[in-house]
Amino acid sequence: MQIRNGQDFATGLFFIAIGLGAYWIAADYPMGTAMRPDTGVLPKALAWLLVGTGLILAGKSLFIDGPRLTGWAWRPAIMITIAAVAFALLVDRLGLVLTMLVSMTLAALGTPETRWREYGLFAIFMVALGVAVFIYGLGMPIRVLPQGLSWR
Amino acid sequence: MALDGLFANLALGLSVAATMQNLLWCLAGAVIGTAVGVLPGVGPVATMALLLPVTYVLPADGALIMLAGIYYGAQYGGSTTAILVNLPGESSSVVTTLDGYQMARQGRAGPALAIAAIGSFFAGCVATVVIAAAAPPLTRLAQQFAPADYFSLMVLGLVFSIVLARGSIIKAFGMVFLGMLLGLVGTDVNTGNLRFTFGISDLFDGLGFVPLAMGIFGIAEIIANLTNPERRDLVSSKVENLWPSREDFRRSRGPILRGTVLGGLLGLLPGGGAVLGSFSAYTLEKKISKTPEKFGTGMIEGVAGPEAANNAAAQTSFIPMLTLGIPSNAVMAMMIGGMMIHGIIPGPQVMEQRPGLFWGMIVSMWFGNLMLIILNLPMIGLWVRLLLVPYRLLAIAVLFFCCIGVYSLNNSANEVLFIGAFGLLGYLLMKLDCEPAPLLLGFLLGPMMEVYMRRAMLLSRGDPWVFVQRPLSLTFLVLAGILVLLVVLPFIRKSRETAFQE
Repeated sequence: MQIRNGQDFATGLFFIAIGLGAYWIAADYPMGTAMRPDTGVLPKALAWLLVGTGLILAGKSLFIDGPRLTGWAWRPAIMITIAAVAFALLVDRLGLVLTMLVSMTLAALGTPETRWREYGLFAIFMVALGVAVFIYGLGMPIRVLPQGLSWR
Repeated sequence: MALDGLFANLALGLSVAATMQNLLWCLAGAVIGTAVGVLPGVGPVATMALLLPVTYVLPADGALIMLAGIYYGAQYGGSTTAILVNLPGESSSVVTTLDGYQMARQGRAGPALAIAAIGSFFAGCVATVVIAAAAPPLTRLAQQFAPADYFSLMVLGLVFSIVLARGSIIKAFGMVFLGMLLGLVGTDVNTGNLRFTFGISDLFDGLGFVPLAMGIFGIAEIIANLTNPERRDLVSSKVENLWPSREDFRRSRGPILRGTVLGGLLGLLPGGGAVLGSFSAYTLEKKISKTPEKFGTGMIEGVAGPEAANNAAAQTSFIPMLTLGIPSNAVMAMMIGGMMIHGIIPGPQVMEQRPGLFWGMIVSMWFGNLMLIILNLPMIGLWVRLLLVPYRLLAIAVLFFCCIGVYSLNNSANEVLFIGAFGLLGYLLMKLDCEPAPLLLGFLLGPMMEVYMRRAMLLSRGDPWVFVQRPLSLTFLVLAGILVLLVVLPFIRKSRETAFQE
């Protein structure tokens, strides 16, 4: 037995895993009656459909040739995700200016293309724009600077 | 009578759309749309998601007029870069690169751009009238729908989105199921039971559409684009001889007309929209041309047809959303999001309860198209200069706008966490070659389908045959079945694959 289509095989496994997981969680959701279908009907039906789809895909990938999985772009994937997470965790605590600087710098680390002098100027411009548009323009209730340093 | 009604409605729309304020919002939408259309890697879906929070502060009609402007503005802007730089700003202008860029290399960028703009304008005008004429009867039809009919119509919509998705059909099925499953997260509205919430209180209200769409379309795209740094070559930033020759006009007339009709029809299909319209129009022009072998070497027909078609389709795809409340693509889903922010439930009742909003938005499309043609032709050089902003900086800006946009929805930092997670999911799906559009439709339609399924079962006292006993419902289901059969049969599947390759 040989996997002839790595991409489809991986997709199949992904669907099967999610389907089984969903079924396991939904197992004790009530089904109700035909006249009043309850919470569990659609989740379980979808879970089975997803597992079935995954089985077909994975099965087909054993017989029909197709593309392999190509390499992952770990650096941008990780850094961009961390940048978004950092924004979420910091914005209420540090205010917009510091949050933006941290988050944008993390994102800039996500690509080897970044030129730091250019990025520095760009970051200043973005922070000014962000504060002007979102805090003063749209009146969003975000602090500009951390508490104690802030005038608002 | 019908005609009188049409004029009265359009006059009402005119009175709404022609106010100074709404003209300004329309202009803002058109300008922003053109800008994101020019910039590759920044699509209208992500932009509309970004601007949804901004529309809080606008009145409802201004907000929707602006959001609509972004969509059709992006169709214009996308063609500009397709012709000048061989870089489709939007997926709907991919085919425009084939002949448009060749024309530009032969020093005929001006006529190509002008014909693209004129074709788009013509198609936009026709489509506006079509919407105005088709909406009232469709709305009357929709008012006779029973829950079972709605359910089956949504099944048909999902099947359309599967059939029209690029790549593997089986994967598209999986994406719909996955999307519906994600849509079920949160409180079951009928019973109050919690589903898939893992005890996290932020999930009790369900996953947000905006973080999901932004993550899967916006963030994932940034990750993918940063991986393959592109090289942009500005071939011709100077455009001379804008006006097409009489010969150009003569050759473009037919393609523009055919593109408008074809695009307008395809735009009506759920899951269709601008991309499908432009691809089909190109294939059609090539098929009926006397010199099909010359396509790809700078044939003006290959620019005129698809450009008219993508604009017509962009606009007629508003019809299912406006009359039935069913989003036919991700952009329409955004429009629905915009309506809901203002407390408007999309559906047949909008036209009766908010006629000013409904007709104002339709008439604004005509104004918007006029603004675009004025905006685009003389200012092309300026737009092209936008391309000089390197992607490494653009990516950071888009990421920031995504984060703050999601934050501003509920002033909740936790929702920003979701876009990080959905971004990773979107990147995974991209690597697995799964198109995300069916997932998004499943996400939106899944919970609606459950509601209608329950109502239908209650009305029929638990008899599942209700879905085939009502003629409308049966029609939709049979259509859906035929569509699935068609793509599963090998012969048609082959021709579909070639159609997508071209």
